[in-house]
Amino acid sequence: MIKIKDLEKYYKTEELQTIALNKLSFEVKQGEFIAVMGPSGCGKSTLLNILGMLDDSDGGSFIFNGEEVINYNERKRASIRKHNIGFVFQSFNLIDQLTVFENVELPLIYTGVKKAERKKKVEAVLEKMQIMHRRKHFPQQLSGGQQQRVAVARAVVNDPKLILADEPTGNLDSSNGNEVMELLTELNDQGTTIIMVTHSEHDAKYSHRIIRMLDGQKVTENSLV
Amino acid sequence: MLRNHFKIAWRNLVKNKGLSIINIIGLALGMAVVILIGLWINDEVTYNQNHENYDRIAHVLLNRTANGETRTRTPIPFPLGEEIRKKYGDSFDYVVMSSFHGDNILSIDNKSLSMYGGFMEPDALRMLSLKMMYGDWGGLKKPNSVVISQSTAKAFFDDINPIGKFIKVNNLLNVVVTGVYQDIPFNARFHGLEFIAPWELYVTSHDWVRYARDNNLWDNNSYQLFVQIADGTDMTLVNAKIKDAIYNNLPDYSRSHPELVLHPMKDWHLRSNWKNGVNIGGFIQYVWLFGVIGLFVLLLACINFMNLSTAQSEKRAKEVGVLKSIGSSKRQLINQFLSESFLVVVLAFILAVNLVFLAIPAFNQLADKQIIFPYKNMLFWLINVGFILVTSIIAGSYPAFYLSSFRPVKVLKGTFKAGKMAMTFRKTLVIVQFTVSVILVIGTIVVKKQIDHSKNRPIGYEKNRLVMIEKVTEDYEGKYNTLRSELLNSGAIAEMSESSSPLTDVWSSGGGFEWEGKDPNFLTNIVTVCVSHDYGNTVGWDLVEGRDFSRTFSTDSTAFILNEAAVKYMGIKNPIGKTIRWNNQEHQVIGVVKNILAESPFEPVKQAVYMIKYNNTNWIELKLNPYKSANESLAAVKTVFNKYIPNVPFEYQFVGDAFAKKFVAEERIRKLSTVFTFFAIFISCLGLFGLTSFIVEQRTKEIGIRKVVGASVFTLWKLLSKDFIMLIALAIIIAVPLAYYGATHWLNNYEYRTEISWKVFAISGIGAVAMTLLTVSLQAIKIARANPIKSLKIE
Repeated sequence: MIKIKDLEKYYKTEELQTIALNKLSFEVKQGEFIAVMGPSGCGKSTLLNILGMLDDSDGGSFIFNGEEVINYNERKRASIRKHNIGFVFQSFNLIDQLTVFENVELPLIYTGVKKAERKKKVEAVLEKMQIMHRRKHFPQQLSGGQQQRVAVARAVVNDPKLILADEPTGNLDSSNGNEVMELLTELNDQGTTIIMVTHSEHDAKYSHRIIRMLDGQKVTENSLV
Repeated sequence: MLRNHFKIAWRNLVKNKGLSIINIIGLALGMAVVILIGLWINDEVTYNQNHENYDRIAHVLLNRTANGETRTRTPIPFPLGEEIRKKYGDSFDYVVMSSFHGDNILSIDNKSLSMYGGFMEPDALRMLSLKMMYGDWGGLKKPNSVVISQSTAKAFFDDINPIGKFIKVNNLLNVVVTGVYQDIPFNARFHGLEFIAPWELYVTSHDWVRYARDNNLWDNNSYQLFVQIADGTDMTLVNAKIKDAIYNNLPDYSRSHPELVLHPMKDWHLRSNWKNGVNIGGFIQYVWLFGVIGLFVLLLACINFMNLSTAQSEKRAKEVGVLKSIGSSKRQLINQFLSESFLVVVLAFILAVNLVFLAIPAFNQLADKQIIFPYKNMLFWLINVGFILVTSIIAGSYPAFYLSSFRPVKVLKGTFKAGKMAMTFRKTLVIVQFTVSVILVIGTIVVKKQIDHSKNRPIGYEKNRLVMIEKVTEDYEGKYNTLRSELLNSGAIAEMSESSSPLTDVWSSGGGFEWEGKDPNFLTNIVTVCVSHDYGNTVGWDLVEGRDFSRTFSTDSTAFILNEAAVKYMGIKNPIGKTIRWNNQEHQVIGVVKNILAESPFEPVKQAVYMIKYNNTNWIELKLNPYKSANESLAAVKTVFNKYIPNVPFEYQFVGDAFAKKFVAEERIRKLSTVFTFFAIFISCLGLFGLTSFIVEQRTKEIGIRKVVGASVFTLWKLLSKDFIMLIALAIIIAVPLAYYGATHWLNNYEYRTEISWKVFAISGIGAVAMTLLTVSLQAIKIARANPIKSLKIE
């Protein structure tokens, strides 16, 4: 599903150039659950941003679903993103002014789903995440775990083929964290590809394969299955 | 402490360069507009103050009533001056009879120049407190004297003292220069008065004036009267005393009841309109209007400052929290923020003064003023210091009190969010800004429409290639036929005529007309124009009935041609062939012409009769040859005039130019309001731009999230613009009725006026929305296109 080769990314300031990704290559197959690990600043988040087509690379190749997307412009990338990728962030990134229901509904609005259908889909996914009873609340009124479940709901409401999770349990206590990991595993079992950046060895154990990074390079890759 | 305040203030300015620049430029423009308007208003209200006794000088005007309507006019009868001096002398310092001022020919040896001036009684010099360079205020005592202005002296005698030199007036009168006065300043009624000759000379040199004197003509109004009331007297009381001075001598005139009105010099410029015998103001309405506009523009600029400062509040909140927790009092914080606004206002003021300095030449041209930047005037600077303080307080007060009231614990914990109230306040400010701007736009469009409407109305003649020449001296007498045939032969003109009034004014009107079916109680007043046979062909009037004057009918010497307004006024059906009695003579109506627009283009054309009379004409009209260039024709005309009238410099004006002058005041208002409206819009947009950047900054995270979950640039742009469009829509809804009310009120000044169509409002509204979208879009699109991971990283 994803194939990257010699991917490069630099950050430039006035004085120095930092290498975030240094000729990184790997492949992810449909239905895999990958954990990316490594110390702070090793390039994990940069990698995730490029995979999510939120950021440009400075070189290399990135094939998504058989398409070379490295030179795609903003609009094309946005279109692929909209239909194929869901995001889960460490800090949830819910919109404070919108209710739980509205937050989850947002991606459907942007992909042009009809209102009645949106209602059905949002309710289904909220049911699945067990936060249906909270659908009229605003994010500030929820606990961290609940907020992350809303974020996951929003990520999956469009039935994406790929979920990118950036330390999804980083802001949660262990029981809430476990709940979220169970959720992701469940989604993966249903066929969704997941790439997750994490610091937690515990969380990484939920995955099929761990890619360890250092200074923008892959150091090891070990399969857990 | 104060130093510390300014240090922090300065660093804050430098840190937020973009916002500071918007603030300073916006305020500077606002202040520059206010200073300019202030200088303009000062110029308007100090009109005529060059005359020391300007508060006691008055023009004596005459109210006359006909058929229930009172009209106020300048001309008064000859004996009035003497009568007032004799009977009411105690109430006056000076009583000065004067001719109407106009162009006259002054000449020495072989140099002839057309000079604007008139004949006045000797006290004129003292009453007007003219600043004499040579001679004294007694200069007009001898009948054969003349007092000239500095520039007239320069034109004839260079820098030599001209006292005792001879000058010829209108090629008839030899007079000796007895005084030279400094040129009268630009903002004075008598500006451009190039000479004053003695009244006595006027009387002796004009037969009809002498006739008026010798026969004590109380019912011939052809002169002006100026007075200065005695020190310690009250203008209103003096007016009451003299009001019947004419009526007492004309008891037969009980129906028109002539009544005198004193028009004080301080009102000449700004309050010169009369309705039913009562002063109803005049240009003063524009002084008020622009004063209000100036204040609004400043308010708009201050609003920007408040808006942007409070918009920064979340950023500044932490600073407030820290300062409060280390013991700063609320008062010190208020001072801190006021120092900041003071600093911004001072910087803006420096910029504004420079802008004004640079803009004054252009502004003078626009407003037809000669305003000088008063950099030497202490009072000007003192007022400006006050202006800076007031502006700092207006602009700085809200931010100061708002920011200093933050609760430190909340702020430092990071749970602080700018309140809903603050947002509502900011939105209100934007609505105010756009309401004002939209009102100004609508007002400006209405003024333009009114001018266009009046410019496009039918004028009843063909002004293209039509030239008028005033017969200023006697030199033209008896030369009509010679001039005409010579000019026609030269091929320079298509036709020539003469008339008593210029095409663009009415010089005489009178009563005493009788016709069949007239109500005997109806007091007539009809414009009378004496013309030569060729008038119709020259000016190209539009005959609707009957025929033009013709040399083949000897009876045409007593014939009348009426304009349509006169036919309506008299209520005659089938006027051709009907008889009208006037001055004990029968006149037959031979034709009716379309109304010729001679007076104000904003009023209906008055009833007029045209008659043949060769010995009472003051103007020559020439229709230039349409197949030759105007320059070529005029050169040929000049040659002919110089040949037959060698002692008068050849001066002409195109009728079209004279006609265009009727719109000068309105055009000026239009131009000024256009400029001020532009600044108001610009300042409002600047404010909107600042506010958008703030809101966008506040919503960065939200926009990032929306983008990640699939929002397109277009949807985000829509999202961000929607709120502003709502505000502007509200502003338009508020502005439209206010503007409609104001515009209707203004248009009521004019009898001939345009309709206010809904299109005006539609155009202004669409314009406002378009400007808003443009301003908001600059920011909205930028943020919508920005990389969302950057905004999400802020966490």
